[in-house]
Amino acid sequence: MFSYYLKLGLLSIRRNPLMTTLMIAAIAVGIGASMSIITVNYVMSGNPIPQKSDQLFHVQLDSWDPNNPNDDGSFDPPDQMTYTDAMALMKAGKAYRQIASNKSSMVLVPQGDDERPFSILSRNTWADFFPMFDLQFIYGSGWDDAADYNMERVTVLSKETNERVFGGENSVGRTVRLAGMDFQVVGVLDEFHPVPKFYDVTNGAFNEPEEVYIPFNVGIEYEIPRAGNTNCWKPIDGEGFEAFLNSECAFIQFWAELRSDEEEQEYMDFLNAYAEQQKEFGRFPRPLNNRLNDVMEWMEDQEVVEDDARVMLGLSLLFLVVCLLNTIGLLLAKYLGKSSEISLRRALGASRSALFVQHMIESGLIGLGGGIFGLALAWLGLRGIEMLFGDMVENLVGMDWVMVLTAIGLAILSALLAGLYPTWRACSISTAKQLKLQ
Amino acid sequence: MLSMQNISMVYRAGLVETHALRNFSLEVEEGDFVSVTGPSGSGKTTFLNIAGLLERFTDGRYELDGRDVSSLSDKESSAVRNEKIGFVFQSFNLIPDLNLFDNVDVPLRYRGFNANERKKRIETVLETVGLASRMKHLPSQLSGGQQQRVAIARALAGKPRLMLADEPTGNLDSKMALGVMELISEINRNGTTIIMVTHDPELAKMANRNVHILDGRVSNGDIEVPLSKVATA
Amino acid sequence: MEIGPIWRAMMRNKTGAILIALQIAVTMAIMVNAISIMQEKSRMMSRPSGLDEHNLFTIQSVGFADDFNERVTIEEDLAALRAMPGVVNAFQTNAIPLSGSGWSMGLQTEPGAEIDGTGVGLYFVDEHALDTYGVNLIAGENFSPTDITWRELVTNVWPGKTILTVAMAETLFPDDAMSALGKTVYINDTQPITVTGIIEKMQGSWPSWDGFERVMLVPHLLPWEDTQYLIRTEPGMRDELMPQVEEMLAETNKGRIVRRMRSMDEIRERAYRDESSMIKILTFTIALLVAVTSLGIVGLASFSVNRRTKQIGTRRALGATRVAILRYFMTENFIISLLGVSLGAALTIGLNILMIETFALTRIAWYLVPAAMLILLGIGQAAVLGPARRASSVPPAVATRTV
Repeated sequence: MFSYYLKLGLLSIRRNPLMTTLMIAAIAVGIGASMSIITVNYVMSGNPIPQKSDQLFHVQLDSWDPNNPNDDGSFDPPDQMTYTDAMALMKAGKAYRQIASNKSSMVLVPQGDDERPFSILSRNTWADFFPMFDLQFIYGSGWDDAADYNMERVTVLSKETNERVFGGENSVGRTVRLAGMDFQVVGVLDEFHPVPKFYDVTNGAFNEPEEVYIPFNVGIEYEIPRAGNTNCWKPIDGEGFEAFLNSECAFIQFWAELRSDEEEQEYMDFLNAYAEQQKEFGRFPRPLNNRLNDVMEWMEDQEVVEDDARVMLGLSLLFLVVCLLNTIGLLLAKYLGKSSEISLRRALGASRSALFVQHMIESGLIGLGGGIFGLALAWLGLRGIEMLFGDMVENLVGMDWVMVLTAIGLAILSALLAGLYPTWRACSISTAKQLKLQ
Repeated sequence: MLSMQNISMVYRAGLVETHALRNFSLEVEEGDFVSVTGPSGSGKTTFLNIAGLLERFTDGRYELDGRDVSSLSDKESSAVRNEKIGFVFQSFNLIPDLNLFDNVDVPLRYRGFNANERKKRIETVLETVGLASRMKHLPSQLSGGQQQRVAIARALAGKPRLMLADEPTGNLDSKMALGVMELISEINRNGTTIIMVTHDPELAKMANRNVHILDGRVSNGDIEVPLSKVATA
Repeated sequence: MEIGPIWRAMMRNKTGAILIALQIAVTMAIMVNAISIMQEKSRMMSRPSGLDEHNLFTIQSVGFADDFNERVTIEEDLAALRAMPGVVNAFQTNAIPLSGSGWSMGLQTEPGAEIDGTGVGLYFVDEHALDTYGVNLIAGENFSPTDITWRELVTNVWPGKTILTVAMAETLFPDDAMSALGKTVYINDTQPITVTGIIEKMQGSWPSWDGFERVMLVPHLLPWEDTQYLIRTEPGMRDELMPQVEEMLAETNKGRIVRRMRSMDEIRERAYRDESSMIKILTFTIALLVAVTSLGIVGLASFSVNRRTKQIGTRRALGATRVAILRYFMTENFIISLLGVSLGAALTIGLNILMIETFALTRIAWYLVPAAMLILLGIGQAAVLGPARRASSVPPAVATRTV
């Protein structure tokens, strides 16, 4: 029977091409508008590391000003950490894995005289960064713990940087000149574009990852200029870099890998004990307020999905509602126009439910059409967004299979919803009256 | 075949009640050919709608083919219509964008026959009405008489026990009308019970007996004078 | 007008009318709220920066060579830049207004760590800055060359003078902003600084910060490898000078790279790209929405005209003029649209309240509601005109035709 209904649906759609076009267009426009915005929101709120996002915790210590909380509204502790605290936590090593990291800018001087030096960003971090965040390597691997403690000048390159500097060859063992020093390449990453860039949302949740990775301690030892956000609640005590490191300036993102609730609880206890101990030295003047947030909690806390995107999402869904109201009206007109045929089928033995199914299938077909065209419109919409916002959104405008299926599904669902009332009306027409009335 | 006892049908529109049928009783035997006549508004159409299970009635009892059909669900009454009743309408009611084959196919689809069975039946009935050669034509390509033949074929395809015809020749000229009436009589001779509503006394005479409805009841008691069976030329 | 019969006829076929009215209502809610957002964004974008924007550009210099000497390079660069024909003035700084990166500090009128300072955007400048920015000094005086010293890389020592914007002065001294001149304010909780000048208007680095117009200028040169220059040109000379400056800087010192040369116009465009993109998207959305709604009205009105062809013929046969038929459909649409925009007004305000609560958006301007009502009524009438004219051209003979 399904194929018979399908045939009837197609026939009916063909019978009234203008009306069908209007309906498909209405659904397509609604789906196109809402899906392009839904896609941006979906990508923004995506899980960048689904396989272990619940085991990776962003660590916050409240080392802030006794007189003014870091955030007047929420009383949240600062999202970054001071050098003193980050080093203490690294040294304690209480988590399964932990890393402190920050962002630097430096000049890369390629070998060969005709190559021009260029400015790049580096992530200064610890050996565990790579296994902790499941980074994949094309060549080599990350550095080892010894490199961190011995301040070895080793580096991991992003795939793009390796292509730019070494033409994509295996550069492991070769030297690259960064910040006026020679670094030995130990590994080259595969493609790595986490969206959001969860491990450093403070400096832009949708920025590209840095171009090179060097040991954190090397960055500190050689005073490589910081490129990220730095926040201080207290004047630096004294002059020079040493004074800065000892200050209450927060510029480090700290992450811990904790494999179970027990580990999380133990780590929280450790953080609180650490804060209590610091209070004895006269630091941590505020009430105890340390935080562990796993990846998705942290994304939520930092509101990485921007308000504008959410406003647009709401408006685009309302837009879809307008398109659906439109479709309901047109379907109603169409199905009521078919009332004599519907009555005839009733007389010939079609039950109401049979007719209901038939017309829902017809509505679904219109939805399918709307979905396919809507998908094309959504794609265009995303290209438009890309054009308007430029490189700021290049990671946000791709549609994956989930989105494609969502678009089609949403279109069919919308059409079925829109078809519900007209179908019900059409099926409850007084059969007898219609047959007589010719 | 058909037995109606004290059927009443009341339409309510606000405070006004209209009695379309009141204490209407009628018995129709298997194989009978009954014509139903009466002036406009007498209740003929209401009677036909109730007989065809297109409309529910307010009061009374209706048995069709020995089964009480007074209070069937929509699904059950749809099934009864599909299996036992064939409809022929004044204005044919063919579906304009289905060809003849597909039009006759409609009730068979709802019956759930397989493709072979449907094809066999459609070809047989279209043969019967003399239109087998035009199976792929659309209704608009046929004359009125031919369209009504298709409608009759559609009514016959399900091998109904009862055929309900509502002014089957009302939209046809007299020559075409005669042909259609001959076809209906022949169907009756092959054993199908026929109830035909008409306002034309000449046509009414072609039935075995006539029922005259006046003011929602069968006038002068039960059955009108039986008419002589009309021989077809 | 025959509103009574039209209303009763409409009530007999409510659904179509209700659908159109709902569609108009939701359209209006989206339209007005979207326009309100657009207004908010464009208000944000239209705040004047106080700078001579069209004639400004910036360029970044990053030293990398082992023998790179920051102080020498910067002094040479500045001298060379100021000597270039077409350059009005130039100076070295830590950050560019509107650029999205910069410094902020807290200032307070009384010393003490327990006092919550007022956040302020901070630019390190020299005596050439005011002329380069093109800002208007309305009280006090510019820094003199002797005020300008080199800042240490990491230090908590601040020079004793600052120039503030009126907005900053007003926040510190709410009673009389101009009274700030000559007053001592405190930075880093306890270090005194004297306000030696007040400028009319200038903007900080972050357009969405509520302290955007609170700015302080601090007289320092910065011995940084990675530094920026802001350059003001003669009117109309900017585009010509930009590549010359880039080449000059690259040539005079091979131990550095020059990058991120951007005109102030480009920096503004980047700063407000989100806002301007949103305005464009919303404009497009509104246009599309109005188109969809109009098509819906056309579609349903056409259907209704087709369905009533015979009725219209009968009316014509009974003596209705073409104009009367036209008026019938126009009136019918007017009633439906009026219901729609009335419901729409309520929906609009409801949606606005929701958005204010959820996203801290501003309230819609009162006049947007009646304006949108009028516009949508007009759109409804325009959309129904076609079908109504078709209705009015139905010949009276249709009445006697049997279908």
